[in-house]
Amino acid sequence: MVASLFHPLNIFLLGLAGGFAIPLLVRIGNGWLSAGFFIALVGIAVISAVSLLRILGGEPPIDIFTAGSLPPVSINLRFGLSEGFVTASVNVMAILGALHLWDRLRGNYAALLLYLGLTMGINGMVMTRDLFNLFVFLEIVSIATYGLLGLERTPAALGAAFKFIMATVIASSLFLLGTGLLYYVTGTLNIDTLVATKSNITGPIGVAALLLLLACLVIELKPFPANGWGLDVYETAPSGVATMISVGVSAGVFFSLVKLLPLFEDQLPILAVSGGATFLFSNLIGLKQSGIQRLLGYSSIGQMGLLLLGLALLHQVGAVASIPLVAGGLFLNHLLAKAGLFWIASVIRQRDIDVPVGIAGHPLLAALLTLFLVAIAGLPPFPGFWAKWALIMQLTSAAKLPWVVLILCGSLLEAAYMFRWFTRALCTQESGPTEMPSASALFPIVTVALLLCIAGYVAARASGAGAPWMFGPLLSRIILYALDRMPGRAKNVLMLAVVLAVGSFLAQAAQGIAWLFAILLLAGSLVIAAAGLYRVDDRPGYYPMLAILMLSIQALLRSSTSLEFFFSWEIITLSTCFLIAKGRGAGPHVLSFLLFSLLSAFLVLAGFAGIAAVSGSIHLGALMTSGPDASVAFAFLAAGFLIKAGAIGVHVWLPGAYSEADDDFTAVLSGVVSKVAVFGLLMGTYLAIRSEAGLELAHAIAWVGMLTTIAGALMALQQTDIKCLLALSSMSQLGYIITATALMSHLGWVTALYLVANHVMVKGVLFLAIAGIILRTGSRSLPEGGGLLRAMPVTFATVLVAVISMSGLPPLMGFGGKWLLLSAMTEKGWHFLAVAGLVATFLGFLYMIRLVSGLFFGPYRGEQTKVSEAPTALLVPQFVLITGILVLSLYPKLLMDPVSAAIDPHFASTLVWEGMSLETVYGYWNPTPIMTGAVTVAAVLGLIAWLAYSGSQRNVADLHRFFAFYRPIIGIASPPVAIVFWRSVADGTLAVADWARGLYSGNGQTYALYVLFYFLVIYVTSTGLAGLWAGGRL
Amino acid sequence: MIYRVSVLVAVTLFALIFIRLTGGYTERLALRALAEYYVSRAPLELGVSNIVTGILIAYRGFDTLGEVAVLFMVAASVGLLLRKDDAGFKEAEERRRRPASEIVMTGSQVLLPVILTFGAYVIVNGHLSAGGGFQGGAIVASGVMLLLLADPGARLNAAALSVIESLAGITYVAIGILGLILAGGFLDPRFLPPGEAGTFLSAGAIPLVSALLGIKVGAELSVIINRFGR
Amino acid sequence: MTTIIPVSSILLVTGFGLALIGLCGILIHRHLLRIIIGFALFSTGLHIVIVATGYVTGGTAPIIDGALSQAEAGRAIDPIPSALVVTAIVIGFAVTAIMLAYAVRLHSARKSFDIRAFTESKW
Repeated sequence: MVASLFHPLNIFLLGLAGGFAIPLLVRIGNGWLSAGFFIALVGIAVISAVSLLRILGGEPPIDIFTAGSLPPVSINLRFGLSEGFVTASVNVMAILGALHLWDRLRGNYAALLLYLGLTMGINGMVMTRDLFNLFVFLEIVSIATYGLLGLERTPAALGAAFKFIMATVIASSLFLLGTGLLYYVTGTLNIDTLVATKSNITGPIGVAALLLLLACLVIELKPFPANGWGLDVYETAPSGVATMISVGVSAGVFFSLVKLLPLFEDQLPILAVSGGATFLFSNLIGLKQSGIQRLLGYSSIGQMGLLLLGLALLHQVGAVASIPLVAGGLFLNHLLAKAGLFWIASVIRQRDIDVPVGIAGHPLLAALLTLFLVAIAGLPPFPGFWAKWALIMQLTSAAKLPWVVLILCGSLLEAAYMFRWFTRALCTQESGPTEMPSASALFPIVTVALLLCIAGYVAARASGAGAPWMFGPLLSRIILYALDRMPGRAKNVLMLAVVLAVGSFLAQAAQGIAWLFAILLLAGSLVIAAAGLYRVDDRPGYYPMLAILMLSIQALLRSSTSLEFFFSWEIITLSTCFLIAKGRGAGPHVLSFLLFSLLSAFLVLAGFAGIAAVSGSIHLGALMTSGPDASVAFAFLAAGFLIKAGAIGVHVWLPGAYSEADDDFTAVLSGVVSKVAVFGLLMGTYLAIRSEAGLELAHAIAWVGMLTTIAGALMALQQTDIKCLLALSSMSQLGYIITATALMSHLGWVTALYLVANHVMVKGVLFLAIAGIILRTGSRSLPEGGGLLRAMPVTFATVLVAVISMSGLPPLMGFGGKWLLLSAMTEKGWHFLAVAGLVATFLGFLYMIRLVSGLFFGPYRGEQTKVSEAPTALLVPQFVLITGILVLSLYPKLLMDPVSAAIDPHFASTLVWEGMSLETVYGYWNPTPIMTGAVTVAAVLGLIAWLAYSGSQRNVADLHRFFAFYRPIIGIASPPVAIVFWRSVADGTLAVADWARGLYSGNGQTYALYVLFYFLVIYVTSTGLAGLWAGGRL
Repeated sequence: MIYRVSVLVAVTLFALIFIRLTGGYTERLALRALAEYYVSRAPLELGVSNIVTGILIAYRGFDTLGEVAVLFMVAASVGLLLRKDDAGFKEAEERRRRPASEIVMTGSQVLLPVILTFGAYVIVNGHLSAGGGFQGGAIVASGVMLLLLADPGARLNAAALSVIESLAGITYVAIGILGLILAGGFLDPRFLPPGEAGTFLSAGAIPLVSALLGIKVGAELSVIINRFGR
Repeated sequence: MTTIIPVSSILLVTGFGLALIGLCGILIHRHLLRIIIGFALFSTGLHIVIVATGYVTGGTAPIIDGALSQAEAGRAIDPIPSALVVTAIVIGFAVTAIMLAYAVRLHSARKSFDIRAFTESKW
C-alpha cells in the first residue's frame, strides 16, 4: 500500500489531476487553491524523495508501465538512481522556488497550474523511456515556460519571451522531425531498444535523425553563440521563473541528453567542443555584464556548458565511473547556488551590480551571498569543488591538457565576474542599508544554503576526502559565528582559545617540515592575532573568519593527499580574501587578490593533477617518488606557489591587498599567511629534486626569487605609504626565502626555514607597530609622518630591533639568515646570485633607513602633539615576538637542530647536497659570543644615536639629500612593467568580451538564424560535406 | 544584406539536407514488427477498429494525456497573457468590433447545428472509423469560432467551459487510475469489456475517453478562441 | 507514372518544401504574424513528412472494417506516425496560440508588429 502510494507514477497523477483541479479549486476559494497547489507540489517532491530513498536502500530501479502493455508497445518510464537524484533535487527546488515566487503566484490560478505543469514536465523528461513521450514532455515544459514568462509584462520581457519561443520551437521541431525519421529507420520509439540496436541506425536518414535530436537538445541547453534568446529571458523574466529555467528546465534537457548519449557516441567531440565554447565564451562575455539577472544567465549557460563538456570528455576517455560525482556534483552545485543567487538578488532588489545596495549592513544576507558566490565559483567546501577536482584529475590523467586549461580559464573568468559582484555588494560602505527582507522571503534562500552545505559534505565523502578533521576549521567557524553577537574582545579571546585547541590538535599530526611550519605558524598566528585585542569594536564576522584561516593553515600542513592540501589551500585563499575585504578601502584590491590567488590555485591544481597522472596517486608522498616525467607538473606547482608568494611579475596583487586590509590583519597576512606559499614551494621542490629537468628550473626560480627581492626593495624605496612600503618589503623578503628554497641543498633549506622564522616575527612586529602608529596618528603617509621618537619610544625600540633583524645586520637573526644564504649560494657555485643578493641587501638597508627615519626622526607635525604610545594590546605581542627574535638570535640551534632533523631524511637520500656536515657549517659562525659583543656595541651606538638625533634636525636634511641621489636610479630601475602588462591583459580580455557579445543583436530572427546554423554546423561537422549532397556517401 | 545572404545560405543548406533525406528515402513495402503488432493485435486486445485511435488512447495514452495537459496549459497561458489589466488595451480592442455581414450570420445559423452534430459524430465514432476526440473537439471549436465571428458581441460562458474542461480532465485521470486498479496498468482501457470490434459499444473505455477528450478539447479550443475574440 | 514516383515521396517533397517555405517566412518577414505563419507552415511541413514516412506501398487506412478485414490487416499503413502526428498537430496548434497571444501583447505594448521593435534586451 505504502509502496503504491509513493509510486513514481503518482508524480504524474498529482501533477495532472492537481493541474486539472486548479480551475475548480479557484472557485471554492483562494485558501483551497493554495492548499491544493502545495499538496500537489509537495506530494510530487515527497514521492520522488521516498522513491529515491528506496532505491538508495538497495531496491532495483522502478519501472513504470502504462496501458497494461510492455514496451515497446506502450510507453514506459523508469525511476532509477540517477532519475531519482535529478527529480528529487528539481522537485525540492520547485517547492522553494514556488515559495520565492509566491507573491506572483498567489491567487493566479493560471500561473499556479503552469508552475505545476512545469514541475511535472521536468519529471517526465527525466523519467520517460520513450522518445516521442520525451518530445511531449519537452513541449509541456516549454509551454509552461512560455506561459510563466507572460507573468512579466514589460515590453522587454515580452519581446524576450517571443525570441525564446521562436528559438525553442525551432529546436523542438527539429526534435520532432528527428523522432519521426528515427521511427522510420528503426521502427521503434523506445529509447532502450534504440540504444540496443544503435548499429542499425545508418544511412542518410538515420544519421540525420540522430543529429536532429542531438541538435535540439544541445540548442535547448543554450550553446554559445546560439543563446541570445536564452540570455534575454534570463535578464527579463521574474527571478523565480528564470531560476526554474536555469535549474529545472536545463536539468530536464541535460538529463534527456544523458539518457540518449549512447546514441551519440560518435558525436562526443562535437558535444565537448560545444560545451567548452559555451563555458568559455559565456564566462568571458559575463565580464562585461553588470545586470545581475543577465550575469546569472551567462553563468547558468556556462555551467551547463561545463556539464556538457565534462559529460562528453569523461565518456570519451572512458572514465564513466567518475561521471556521477562530476556531473552530479556540478549539477547540484549549479542547482542550489544559482537558485540562491537569483533569489537573493531579487530579495535585495539589486538589478545591477554597479548599483550598491548596502548589503554589508546585513551579516546574514552578506553571508548568504558570499556562500552562493563561493559555491558557484567552484570553491570548497561545496559540491562544485569536488566535482571540478575529479574532472581535472580525470582529464589530466587522460592527457587532455587543452581542455584542462580551458576549464580553468573559464572558471577564472566566472570567478572574476561573480566576485566583482561580491566586492561591489559588500565593500561599498557608504550606501544606506536596505530594509531587511521578511522571514518568508529568506526561508527559501536559507534552506538552499543549508542544502548546499550538506551537499558539499556528501560530495566530499563521495570523492573520498571526508576525513572529519578537514572540516574542523569550518566547524570552528560555524560555532564562533553563532557567538558573533558577543563583544569584540571576548570574541577575540574565544577565537584564540579555539585556535589554540583545534590548532594544536591539527598540528600534532603533522610531520617533518610540515610539523615545524605548523608549530611556527601556530605560535606566530596566535601571538599576532592576540594583538587584535586593541580593537574595541565588534568586527562582525571577523573573528570566525580569522579562526578559519589560521586553522586551515594547520589543516593544510597536516594534509596527506593533494586533495586535502588543495582543499585547505582554497579555504585559506577564500578566508584571506574575505578578511581583506573587511578593510575599509579594500574593494578593488580584493578582486585582484582573489583572481591571482585563484590563478595560483588553478596552477597548483594542474600541478597536482599532473603528478597524479604520472604517479597514479594523489598521496602527497607521490611528490617524492615521481620520476623525471613530473617536471611539467613541477613547473605548474612552482608557478602557482610563486604567484601566491608574490614573486616578481605576479606581485601586482600584493601591495594593495596588504595595505588595504585591516592593520592588525596585515600582520597576520604578511607574517603567517605568506608562509603557506613558502611551504608549498618547499614541498613542490621535492619533485624538482627527483626530476633532472627540475634542477634547471630550480636555478630559474632562484633568480626569480632574487629579482623579486630586488624589485620589492626598489619599489619599497619609492613608496610613501608606510603599509605599502612594508608590504613590498614583505615581497622582497619572501624573495630571499624563494631563492633559499630553490637552492635545493641542505644548507639552502635550513636557511629558508630560518628566514621564515625570522620573517614571521619581524613582519609581525613591524606591522603591529605600524598598526599602533596609524591608530595614534591616523595617517599612513610617510611624508606626513615623522618625529614620533619621543611620543612612541617603545614602538620605536621594537621597530628598530625588527628592522635590524630584517636587514641582516649583526647581531640579530637576520644576519645569520643572510650569512647562511650567501654561503649556500657560494657553495652551490651560483656566484652571480650571491652578488645580486648583496645588492638586494644594500637596497634593503636603504628602504629600512627611510622607514625608520621617516617615522621617528625629524620634527613633529602639527596635529601630532597629542600622540601617545601605542596601546598595550599591540605592544605585548610585539614584545613576545622580539623575545623570540632575541632568543633565536642567541641560540639559533634551538631552531636549526629540529630543522635539520626534519630536512635530513630528504637530502641524505637524494645527495643533492654534498660534503660539509651541518656542524661544520655552523662552525664558521658561532653566534653566542658575536651576539653578546654586538648587542653591547649596538646598545652603545644606539645611545649615541639617540643623543645625537634628539637634539638636532640637520641629520634629517642629510638623509633627504642622501635619498635624492638614489631616486632617479630607483625610478629607472623599477618601471611598472608588471602592472602595465596585467592591466593590458585585463583590458584585452574585456575587449574580446565586448567584441564577442556583439553577436547578440537582440533580434529574434537573427537568433532563429543562429539556431538553424547551429544545427547545420553540427550536421556538417558530423557528416562532412557529403552530408549535403544527395548522393554523398558518409 | 549580410543577413539576407545568411538566410539564403541557411535555407539552401536545409534544402540540400532535405533533398538528401528524400533521396535516401525508400517506401516501406511491409509493416515493421511493432506496427504489425498494433494492426493485428489492437482489434483483439482492445476491440478497437480504428488502430490509430487505439494507439492514441490506449497504447500511447500517456502521450495523449500529456497532450491534453499541453492544451490545458495553453488555455491558461493565453488567458494569463490576454488578461485585461490595462484599460487602454481593452478600449483599443473594443473599438474594432463591427457587426458581421449578412452572409456570415445566415451561414452560421444554417451551419452551426450541422457542424456541432458532425463534431459530436466524429467524437463518438473515433474507435470505429476515422475520427476521435481531438478531431471532433476541433470541429466543435470551429463551430464556436463561426458563432463568434457571426456575433462579435456574443460571450461564451467561460467559467462554465473552464469547469467542464477541468472536470473532463479529472475524469480522464480517474479513468486512467481505474485502468491501473481494475486492468493492467495506468490508462489501460480494458477495465470495461472490449465488446465486439466494430460495434458502437466496444473497445472498453476508449469511447468514454474519446468523448471526454472531445468535450475537453472542444471546451479548451473554444476558451482559447474566445479569449482571442475578446 | 505512379510506379516511378511513389506517392509517399511526393508527400515527402511537399512536406519538405512546405517546411522550407516556412523557414523562409520565419527568417525573412519582419511582421510578427507572418513569422507565426512561417512557424505554422514549418511544423505542418514536418508533420506531412512524418505521415509520409509511415506509408507502406499499396497500404490503406489502418481501420479494421469492411474495407480491411482482420485477416489482411498487414495491408494497412503504419499507424504510428499518424498517431504521433495527431499529437504533434495539437502541440503545434498550442504553440501557435501562444505565439499569437504574445503577438497581441507585443502589439499592444509597442503598437507595432515589426520584430525589430523588440530588441531592447541584448548583450
